[in-house]
Amino acid sequence: MLRARMRRRLGLAVLLMLSAALRCRSASPPGKPVLIGCRSPEKETFTCWWEPGFNGGLPTRHRLFYEKEGSEEVHECPDYWSAGKNSCFFGKEQTSIWVEYSLTVVAFNALGNTSSDLFKIDDVMKIVKPYTPENVTVLVNDTANTPYLCVSWNHPPKVDTKSGWTTIKYELRVQKEDNKPEIFHPNKKNSFKVYNVDPGATYTVDMRCQLDQSSWSEWSTASVVKIPNYFQNEKPFWILVSIFSVIPLLATICIVVLKRKFVKQWLLPPVPGPKIRGVDVQLLKSGRAEDVINALIGNQNFPPAAAWMDQTEEYLLVSDSNDWLLTDPYISQKKKSLVIPAGVQLEIQCRTSAPAQSDCENAEVGKDGKVEPDHLAQTKESVLNVAAPSVSSGSKEAASGNAAGPTGYVDIQQHKGTQGAGPNAAQWDYSWVKEVNGETIFILKNEDAAAGLDVPGWEENTAADYSRVKEVNGDDVVLLQKHDSADSSCKKKEDRSAEWTNQKAKSRHGSDCGKGACLQIAGNGYVDSVPRFYVE
Amino acid sequence: MTAHIRPVCAVWVGMVCLVFCSRLSGMKAASICGNAQAECHFLSLANLFDRVIQHSARMHGISNDLHSEFELYFLPSKNQVSRVGRNCHTSNILTPNGKENAQRIEREELTEVIMKLLAAWRDPLWHFHQSVARNHRFNGYGSNKSLEMSDMAHELRKGVQKVVEKMQTLGVISNSVGGLASPEALLAADGSGWRFMKDSDLLYCFRRDSNKIQNYLKILKCRIVPEHGC
Repeated sequence: MLRARMRRRLGLAVLLMLSAALRCRSASPPGKPVLIGCRSPEKETFTCWWEPGFNGGLPTRHRLFYEKEGSEEVHECPDYWSAGKNSCFFGKEQTSIWVEYSLTVVAFNALGNTSSDLFKIDDVMKIVKPYTPENVTVLVNDTANTPYLCVSWNHPPKVDTKSGWTTIKYELRVQKEDNKPEIFHPNKKNSFKVYNVDPGATYTVDMRCQLDQSSWSEWSTASVVKIPNYFQNEKPFWILVSIFSVIPLLATICIVVLKRKFVKQWLLPPVPGPKIRGVDVQLLKSGRAEDVINALIGNQNFPPAAAWMDQTEEYLLVSDSNDWLLTDPYISQKKKSLVIPAGVQLEIQCRTSAPAQSDCENAEVGKDGKVEPDHLAQTKESVLNVAAPSVSSGSKEAASGNAAGPTGYVDIQQHKGTQGAGPNAAQWDYSWVKEVNGETIFILKNEDAAAGLDVPGWEENTAADYSRVKEVNGDDVVLLQKHDSADSSCKKKEDRSAEWTNQKAKSRHGSDCGKGACLQIAGNGYVDSVPRFYVE
Repeated sequence: MTAHIRPVCAVWVGMVCLVFCSRLSGMKAASICGNAQAECHFLSLANLFDRVIQHSARMHGISNDLHSEFELYFLPSKNQVSRVGRNCHTSNILTPNGKENAQRIEREELTEVIMKLLAAWRDPLWHFHQSVARNHRFNGYGSNKSLEMSDMAHELRKGVQKVVEKMQTLGVISNSVGGLASPEALLAADGSGWRFMKDSDLLYCFRRDSNKIQNYLKILKCRIVPEHGC
């Protein structure tokens, strides 16, 4: 038992010793170092770094050798320590721009040496890469509600900017929150202003630089700034404003909705349709012609002067013979003399002895003729009132002239009884005023009861009522011939009418306006018996 | 009214033309100078410098583009070992290779270096353009660029000559700086070594030299007129 253990232990010990011996013998020359790269920060010096290989178990030393273009001389690295471990720093004296360098690193240990591959630098300009710009500071400048960023910096360290040896170009990067960054190229050396910034946003700003078209430096440490939000401060104000403007608006809307009828009426007042006073639309629609006409005409207050159709026309006989007056029993009952004043006012009372006939009194107009009617309303106004005879009633009421007053109308009173009768009422009498000569009116009397309103009928009926002017005496006297008997009146009338018309045609004038009287003379020679007088 | 418009228009056009012509004729003599003549000369010199520097920067940019394109299409494998034997025909021109060196040497020397470089590249660039156009080695883009590069080098040379003349009139540099004669004489001694250069080497060399020219001009400006933007 003991022997076995002893043998085992011995075997282990031998094994250990052998392995130790073997380990000692595996030291080898160093592995091959690798040159990583070189960099010149300011175009005056440069540094190269390498990566050592396996050291072979023995302390290894690395050495860098270089050759310059145009010379076979081999130089060794002047400075192994300034730039750190496994580096070589070439100072200003050893650095030549526009010259090709060939570098080699050799690793040495006790067992041998190994050299790296040749590393060529075509031109130191190619390995120029400056440091980052220094002291990059960003300030938010918020004047007049247009904020902007003011970025300031210094040139990278060790770079000579005075002698013109290098031309630095800067690049500024501004990134708003997570958006795409914006690149700026400042022209100035030390400062730059960024204007398109939004209030309330966060911006990240950093910079880098370049020497003479070399490689860009690394980005500087980013500065983060937040722009104060101006609208936030004003928000409560705007909230208040909006509230205060919304309340009256709502109130207005409520009022409009509640009183929409009123508003509608005010905005769009109803346009009154056409309406005739006193006329019932329904009546019109029912279609009875009489009613329609009554409605249309009956309610009208035509000036009596205009409704000549409804008026009785009376013919005044003016004669020079008193005999005639006296012989006529009817007429002699009343003797009237008419005085026609300066303004003509004439009132004639007519009486009707028979329905078919109505005699009007003859008024003799003489120079000094007086008219003494009983009911003559004598006024100085120049109104001619021709009283319409009352056909059926013979009342004096109808004979009372309704003075139209000093309006200038010749008022012929309508016969009340026949009011509303058609124009074919056979009982209307007409008075014709033949002519107004100055202050004298010459009225032709119509003895017969002329019925027809129509012109032909009127002519027929009144053909017998013409009086012939016998003589014109002076300015204001016209002597008319006396009527003959009614039997032959027709014929005579016809004759006379012809004469009249002839005469009339000759001496017609459209209107004979005197001082105070103006008569419209109809074209056929008849004088409109309802003249309009215009009183001055 | 139309009868009046025509003569009025003619008169107006005539006046405008007169104004323009007077402006054009006056432009040659016009300068931004006012009363202070001394300051004014320096200001125009700085202005001239700025222009030539801009021009040289542009030229360098084009050469850089051409070289990159050439490397991309014609030398896909970047074999660094094969480039050992590169030799530019302008290598014999001693150029300051650092800031201190450039600041240390004389203005006249620096100016001479610039002039030599520009002179040395006139013929090679033209030759290069011809070969590119003849052989269709590049696409149309490359052919245009090579012509542009050649023209720009030519113009830059004339511009730098103007600057030199201005400096000489101002007394900034001595008149020892030669005109066209001396660089040409130097080149004649060199021979036409550039004819045997490969196109890739030519482009590489010119890219480097155009960068040198740009840097030297900048240093020269900041040495002579430092107060105007350095």
